[in-house]
Amino acid sequence: MESWLKLLSNICNLRVQKILKVSCMRKKLLLILVSVFIGVNLFAGGYQVRLQGNKQTGFGLIGTPLNMGASSMFYNPGALSFSENRFNFELGAGGIMSFVTFEKEGSNYQAETNNPLSTPFYFYGSGKINNLVSVGVAVYTPYGSTLKWDSDWAGRFIIQEISLKAIYFQPTISFNISNVMGIGIGFVYSTGGVALDKALNYGEHSSVSLDGKSGGFGFNLGVYFKATDQLRLGVNYRSLIMMKVTDGDAVFTVPESLSGTIPKENKFSAELPLPANLDIGISYQATDKLQVAFELDWVMWSAYKELTFEFEEKGELLNSTNTRDYEDSFIPRLGVEYRLFENLHLRAGAYYDTSPVNDNYFSPETVSLNTIAYTLGLSWQPLPFMSIDLSYLQTFGLKSTMNYEPDNFSGTYKSAAYIPGLGFTFKF
Amino acid sequence: MKTRYIYYVVLIAVLTSCKPQITEFEPSSGEADFSSYVAVGNSLTAGYADGALYKSGQEFGWTNIIAQQLKIVGMQGEFKIPYMPDDLGVGFAGGVPATKLVFGYTTDCNGLVSMGPVLADSNANTTELMAKVLKSVADKGPYNNIGVPGIKVSHLLMPGYGVFNPYYGRFADNTLTDVLIDEADKVNPTFFSLWVGNNDVLGYSLSGGAGDTITSPALFELAYNEVISHLTTLAGKGVVANIPYVTEIPFFTTVPYNAVNLSADQAVTLNQAYELYNQTMEAAGLSYYIKWSKGDNPMVIWDKEMILPEVLSQFKFRQMKEDELVTLAIPRDSIKCAKWGTVKPIPDRYILTRSEIAKVYDATNAYNATIKSAADQYDLAFVDMVTYMEILRSEGMVSDGVMFSTTYGTGNTFSADAVHFAPQGNALVANMFIRAINEKYGSKIPQVAVSEYPGLALP
Repeated sequence: MESWLKLLSNICNLRVQKILKVSCMRKKLLLILVSVFIGVNLFAGGYQVRLQGNKQTGFGLIGTPLNMGASSMFYNPGALSFSENRFNFELGAGGIMSFVTFEKEGSNYQAETNNPLSTPFYFYGSGKINNLVSVGVAVYTPYGSTLKWDSDWAGRFIIQEISLKAIYFQPTISFNISNVMGIGIGFVYSTGGVALDKALNYGEHSSVSLDGKSGGFGFNLGVYFKATDQLRLGVNYRSLIMMKVTDGDAVFTVPESLSGTIPKENKFSAELPLPANLDIGISYQATDKLQVAFELDWVMWSAYKELTFEFEEKGELLNSTNTRDYEDSFIPRLGVEYRLFENLHLRAGAYYDTSPVNDNYFSPETVSLNTIAYTLGLSWQPLPFMSIDLSYLQTFGLKSTMNYEPDNFSGTYKSAAYIPGLGFTFKF
Repeated sequence: MKTRYIYYVVLIAVLTSCKPQITEFEPSSGEADFSSYVAVGNSLTAGYADGALYKSGQEFGWTNIIAQQLKIVGMQGEFKIPYMPDDLGVGFAGGVPATKLVFGYTTDCNGLVSMGPVLADSNANTTELMAKVLKSVADKGPYNNIGVPGIKVSHLLMPGYGVFNPYYGRFADNTLTDVLIDEADKVNPTFFSLWVGNNDVLGYSLSGGAGDTITSPALFELAYNEVISHLTTLAGKGVVANIPYVTEIPFFTTVPYNAVNLSADQAVTLNQAYELYNQTMEAAGLSYYIKWSKGDNPMVIWDKEMILPEVLSQFKFRQMKEDELVTLAIPRDSIKCAKWGTVKPIPDRYILTRSEIAKVYDATNAYNATIKSAADQYDLAFVDMVTYMEILRSEGMVSDGVMFSTTYGTGNTFSADAVHFAPQGNALVANMFIRAINEKYGSKIPQVAVSEYPGLALP
C-alpha cells in the first residue's frame, strides 16, 4: 500500500512537470483569453461578476465557508491552507449570454440589447509550503459589464455601448492555525478599463467615444473556521478598489461649426469604485453525501456616489458629474452539494440579489435589477489528480420601472442571463 | 474547441426564445374613435418650419407624429398631408417667396464669421418658388392635415380664402368659393385636433406692433366657437390647445434689449451727443433720460406712443426698458456698423414695447379664456401650451436625454426661423397632445421617443 502511494507520488511529480509545461502553454491561452475578454454583463448587482470558480458557481456562488481548493484564494484565502494536496491548479471560464429588454414609459416603444458573449475567466495556482503555510497566485475577473444597445435606440444620448473590465492579480498567503482556523490574505493589483460610446444631439453623426485604462490596489482577507467536523464558518473581506482612469482617450465627432468649441481629440480622467465585499458563510455536512451551505454577502455599493468625467481641454464645458447614489446590497445564498459517487459531485443553489442602483438614477448604462437566480453544477473526477467542473447559472432580472432623472429617461426593464461554465481542477 | 462552438450556437438558438418579454403598455383607443383624424390649424399644424413649408418638415410635424401613433390605436388608412414637392420648400420672408432657412455661416459688417440662419438656396428663382406653392394638389385630396400657414381663426370660415393664401389655395377644390373648415368634412373625421389663434396676435408681434392688427377678442370668440361647434358636430371628440405667449419664443428673446456694447470713450461721446435730449426732457418736466456707460447699454428706439408736447414730437425716442423685446428680424449689422440703437433709434417694427407686450398679453389671455371654455363646454381634451411654453422658457425640459429650451439655435425646440418647431420640438409637442388625449378619453396612445427624431442640423 505504502509503495503504491510512493509510486503514485512519483507519477504525480512527473505529472507536475508535465502540467507545469502545460501551464506555460496555458499562459498563452490566458493571454488570448485576456484579449478576447470583453467584460461581463449584469447578471449580478451593479457591474460585479462572481464567477470565480465553477465549483462555487454551481453551489449558489457560495465559497466563503467551503474549502474548494485553489479557488478559495478568491472566495476565502483562509481556506487555502486547509488544502489536502501539495499543489492545486484551477482554471476555467464562463460564457455569459445576457439580454435586456426595455419598454419606454407611456409608450409601446421597445429596445433590446445585443450584447456580445462575454467570458469571465479565472486561473489559480497554489502550493503548500508546509502544514502551516500555503501560497498561491490568482487571476480573475470580478467586475465587468458589457452592454450594447442599438446605436439609434431611444436612449442613444445616454449610452449606446459600454464595456467595463477589470482583471485582478492576487498573490496570496494562507496560514493554518492549529488545524481549526485558517487566515489568509491576498494583495490585489487590478488592471482594466472602461470604454463607452454615446450619441450627441448635434446632428446625425455626432457622438463621443471614451476609452481609458486604469490600475488599482487592494486586498482580500479571509478567515476559515472548522467549528466541528461537520460545521464550517467563513468570513471574507475584499477591499474597495478605486479604478482611476487617467489620460483616457476621448474622441468627439461633432459638426464643423462646433469643432472650435469641442475639440475632436481630448483626454479624460474618471473614477469608478469596485466596491468592497463582506461575505459571511456557514456550511454543514449533513450526511456523508450531503453538504448544505448558506452565505450572506454585503456588497458596499454605497461607495458609488457619482461618476465624474474630467477633460483636459474645454473642461469647463465638457466636464460632468453624474449622480449615481448606489445603495449597499445584500445577497442571501443557499447551496447544496451531493456526492453521488466518490468521483461525481452534484451541486445546486439559488440566491436573491437586490439592485444597488438608485431608482431615480437608473441609467441604461448599468441595468441592474433585483435578481433571482438558480445554479447547477457538477464535478467529475475521471483521474485522481483531475476533475472537470461544470456549472450553469441562470438569472432573472425582475421587471421594474425605473427612471434616469437627469435625462428624464424612464421605462420598464427586464433582464435575463444564461451562463454555462467549464473549469478544470488539478491537484497532487 | 470546435464542439464548444457548436455547443454555444445551439444554446444561443435556444436562448433567443428566452429573451425577456415586457408587455406593460397595451395601446388602446379608450372612449375615443381614432379611425379618421383631421388636424385643423395654422402653420404649426401644417408642419411649417425653418421659415418655409417643405416636405420633411411636414413629415416631422406634430400632427403627423400623432397620426402615426394613432395608427396603433385604430386609425384607418393614411394621414394625408398636402406635401410640398421638395425639401427646399417655400416660405414668405417679408412677402417675397424664399426657400427654407438652414444654419450656416454668415459674415457680418466687421468681417466676423459666425453661425446663423441662411437661405437653403439664396439663388432660388422667386417665380419658380411662387409657381411651386401655387401648383394645385387638390386632386390628391381630401387631406387629413388641413393646417394652413398664416391663418387666423376667422379665416377658417371665410369663403374664397384660398385666393389670399396659396397654402390653402393649393389644396382647395374651388379656390374662389371653398371654405377651409369644410375641408374637414371631406375625410369624415372621428377625431380632430385644433390649435389655432396664434396668428391672431403673432402677425402684430412679429411686426413689432407696426404691421397687422390684433384680432379683437370678441371676433375671436365668435369665430372660434363657430369653428369648434362645426368640428364637434362633425367628429364628436377632439383635442384643442391654448396659445402660448408669443413673446416667449426665440424670435423675441434672442436679441437682448441692451445689445449695444460701448467702450468708455464711445460712452463719453454719446453722453455729450444726448445732452440736448436730456436737457430738453428735463425742461419739459419729463422723466426720459438717456445715459451711456462702458459695456452693454439699452438701445435707443423710436416709440410712437410717447406722450410729448407737440413741439417735441421729433423726440419720440428713448432707451429700451429691460422687459421690452427686440425681434430677430432686426438687421444686426446696422447695430454693429450703422449706429442703430445709439445715434439712430431703432425703427418701431423691430421692437415690442411694454405697452405693445401688454396688448399681446391681454389678447392672448382673452383668446385662451375662449379656448378653455369651449374645451370645457364640448368636453374636449385640452393641452395647456401656455404652461408648457412657460416651463420651456424658464427652466427647460428634458426628455430622453434631449435638453429642450427656447434658446435659439441650441434649445432643440425651435427651428431656424425661431417661431416654428424643429423635429424634436414637434415630437415633444406631440407627446403633450397625446398625454392630454389619453387623460381625457382613457385611451392609451403610445408616446414617442423624442430622441428618435433628428436634432438641429448644424453646419
